Amino acid sequence: MIWSLMIATGVFTFGTRFVMLTGIFGKRLPAWLIEALGFVPIAVLTAIIVPTVLIDPVSQNFSILDNPRLLAALIAIAVALTTRQVITTIGAGLATLWVLKWLA
Amino acid sequence: MSGAKDTADVPAKAPSAADEFWQGVRDELPLMFGVIPFGLVFGVIGIESGLTSVQTILLSSILFGGASQVVFAQLWAGGVPALILGSSVCVINIRHVLYSASVASYLQHLSLGWRLLLGYLLTDEAYAVSIRRFTNGYSGKFQHFHLLGSGSLLWASWQTSTIAGVVVGETIPDSWSLTFAIPLTFIAIIAPIMKTRAEIAAAVSAGGLAIIGQPLPWNSWLVIAALGGIVTGWMVEHLNGTRRGNA
Repeated sequence: MIWSLMIATGVFTFGTRFVMLTGIFGKRLPAWLIEALGFVPIAVLTAIIVPTVLIDPVSQNFSILDNPRLLAALIAIAVALTTRQVITTIGAGLATLWVLKWLA
Repeated sequence: MSGAKDTADVPAKAPSAADEFWQGVRDELPLMFGVIPFGLVFGVIGIESGLTSVQTILLSSILFGGASQVVFAQLWAGGVPALILGSSVCVINIRHVLYSASVASYLQHLSLGWRLLLGYLLTDEAYAVSIRRFTNGYSGKFQHFHLLGSGSLLWASWQTSTIAGVVVGETIPDSWSLTFAIPLTFIAIIAPIMKTRAEIAAAVSAGGLAIIGQPLPWNSWLVIAALGGIVTGWMVEHLNGTRRGNA
């Protein structure tokens, strides 16, 4: 199952990169489609971030107060906005999480 | 872009294929600061998510897209049905159609082999540096070698950093909560690019729907939240009557 999934998603992904190079669809996408595609990364990635941060991976409870992952995520957002680097953002977020867990 | 200016100083001589290739490699180099750690993190996450070493490593060349690979691993670990996993990964990667359309006019005259190869190498990071080369007007008939250079460096560094992550990941204890690196990686990607009101609206509605939709069957919340975010962003943009500066 996993191999067919890997290959199917891989073929689709290659298709998204190659499709406009085929020349079949002309060179221009409709304007509304270009605009909608522009929102894809933000919408998809936020939809993954929010539950991973707000829902406890073990108890499955939704929590905002007393949630070390939320504080770690907020610190990470601040670091991402200032440094614009993936590695410093991950480092700051993980370090915050470790410190909070160690204090708890 | 200082790299492009260097070539502008010698206008008499058109860049050769090798010039373009190495220019692409040089232009891609600064992005390695983001790509290599991300590849390492993916290698670690793949192992932590229960993929085998071989699966984790091959995913980096079969999918060759960081965010989608992380989503693949995360949903696989969560035991999500295949259809949801597949459609989630596909939705994330649909943005490449934009890049494909954007470079099409520069590559359309090439042979099928070239277009297949450059299509495969058309990632966020390679597109970002090579489209600047194409649109800056320094391009000669070998301009596609620039994308070959940027894409090749990205490919090689992505594969090697994934392998390194897999090797390291097998020795890291669970108590380090390294899977939390997934949302952190995504925060690093989207926080700096979120600028307009429409983008913020897209994020807020996608995040809200992702929480509200948790009880829905088959983990369908992800696809629903993503589509809801896209539609909201698009609508806010049109209600505002403003145009996005960058696509």
